[in-house]
Amino acid sequence: MEWFDALVQGILLGGMYAQYALGMALMFGVMRIVNISHGDLVILLSLIGISMATAWGLGPLPVLIVLVPLAVLMGWVLQKAVLNRVVGSDPLPSLIATFGLSIALQNLMLQIWSANSRSLPGHGIESQSIEIGSVYVGLLPLIVLAVATGLTWGLDLTLKRTRFGRALRAASADVEAAAMTGINPRAVYAMATAAAVGILGFAAVFQALRSTVAPADGPAQLIYAFEAVIIGGMGTVWGAFVGSMVLGISQAIGFRIDPGFGVLAGHIVFLIVLATRPQGLFGKALS
Amino acid sequence: MSAIPYLETEAPEVLVQRQTRSGRVAMTLAVLAMIAVAAMPWWASTGTIRSILVLCCYIAVAQMWNLLAGYAGLVSVGQHAFMGAAGYALFVLAQTYGINPFAAVFLSLLVPAALAVPIYLLLHRLDGPYFSIGTWVVAEVFRLTASNLPLVNSGAGMSLRVMKDYSAFERNVAMSLLCAGMLLVTLGGSYWLLRSRFGLALIAMRDNPVAAASQGVNVAKLRFLVYVASAVGCGLAGAIYFMAQLRITPGSAFDPMWANVAIFIVMVGGIGSIEGVLIGSLIFFIADRWFGEYGATYFVVLGLMTLLVALYARTGIWGLISKRWDAPWFPIRRKLVDPDR
Repeated sequence: MEWFDALVQGILLGGMYAQYALGMALMFGVMRIVNISHGDLVILLSLIGISMATAWGLGPLPVLIVLVPLAVLMGWVLQKAVLNRVVGSDPLPSLIATFGLSIALQNLMLQIWSANSRSLPGHGIESQSIEIGSVYVGLLPLIVLAVATGLTWGLDLTLKRTRFGRALRAASADVEAAAMTGINPRAVYAMATAAAVGILGFAAVFQALRSTVAPADGPAQLIYAFEAVIIGGMGTVWGAFVGSMVLGISQAIGFRIDPGFGVLAGHIVFLIVLATRPQGLFGKALS
Repeated sequence: MSAIPYLETEAPEVLVQRQTRSGRVAMTLAVLAMIAVAAMPWWASTGTIRSILVLCCYIAVAQMWNLLAGYAGLVSVGQHAFMGAAGYALFVLAQTYGINPFAAVFLSLLVPAALAVPIYLLLHRLDGPYFSIGTWVVAEVFRLTASNLPLVNSGAGMSLRVMKDYSAFERNVAMSLLCAGMLLVTLGGSYWLLRSRFGLALIAMRDNPVAAASQGVNVAKLRFLVYVASAVGCGLAGAIYFMAQLRITPGSAFDPMWANVAIFIVMVGGIGSIEGVLIGSLIFFIADRWFGEYGATYFVVLGLMTLLVALYARTGIWGLISKRWDAPWFPIRRKLVDPDR
């Protein structure tokens, strides 16, 4: 029973990680860029949301409604001001640029919000739970999982069915050929990053509701998102989702074995996947 | 079909010029600086020796990162894993097993070397930017493992109490010699490597790995060797740094700050050159002394400077200098000179 509970908690935790991982999978799939400041952007959005909630007494839903468009705008600006200048076959410039941005953001947040941990007041939602079978499940983690599933489904559908999705897939397959058919890669990239950071707007609200955030927390979120993407297999949206579940379950079971072992268990499962199935669970094997 | 006859010509007599005047001046200064570092106990206070030791560690770690990112195209943000591993190995060997700490510095280098091999075999499967975050995960795994490992006193960390068996002067002599040796191995070793046949291969690989492979450079093997060498170099810096600190904890041993330092130094100074590492190290060292008290603001500026260099001046300060004046300090080019002219 205890292990079944760990499994359920792991899946719910995976819902949180999926919200980080989707944006990373999208950006890497399209631009071959890894944004090192990915986690810091989540924390920045969370802290902005918490400040808005305390200043104006907003509940979680209004914060979400304000934060997601703000995140979309941030992503668009990030692409226009920074990433469009460094996108290319050489991974070094984009890594270094976003690495510098990450250091700057972390310390800027440290100055504005101090090193304290904060959380978003949920007006009771964070303490409600419902009984499923014989385990109690928190209402909030269930909402997080549902939103993560919805986002994954929506992103997958957008990529498969819409004009924007076709442009994205074309640009990720071959930028020059896509440009020849009338797609403006830079506009597509800007929309991809805007979408990726927009998803982080959801993640920011739920992260701040579920637990606490502090300015130094970003790198850990980046690493979880990265591990989820690699475990699931690069380039597939549902792969990132399942990878997040695997990571969440590994950590939850690790925590049950020993509280000091939880995060490490996730890393070890990641390394095992890398050693035995480097293309990820859903990735296609390289020929 | 007859073969096209070639004209019998004599190969023109040329000299291969490999050293320049600026190079000779810089080499003399470098040798003098190395001697000055080795002789520190006779002219510097203990405080100065500690400062210069930190500067030497910056130079060593930055040059190791430069070798990886600037030549092998492997952008690691987790080299502190090897610093911490060697630091811990030194503490365990000297404190737990009672081996002479100065001998243990060298023995401890076996640990990063042995760890780098399986880690590279795992991580090289990751593509470009994902390799970088993979190295970060490895450093996190090391930190969490050290926090849970009773052999290294778990999260509480270890102290190097055996050092009190040596007088302050003896310790200063050892530290100074170790620093000079570290500079000789990391900077001198890199310079020697870049001037050798391997250097040609490395530079070819830096410019275009695919073209280098087509010219017979074994890119995969060279990358592997550079990764292991860089791990050992970082390990040496870590062992010396933590020997001077006398204390190690999982948080300090596997501190991502070192990745920030290495990236800032190399990117601002100028990637792919030894001169850039020296310039960047001096800038960072001085900035750290002057502006370190501003804490977070100082790091915001460092981060933004790194960002701006990546966006607008990828060759760093040395790149801007060498575009204007052709006076390399550590020349690695081969220039053909006609002696008759």
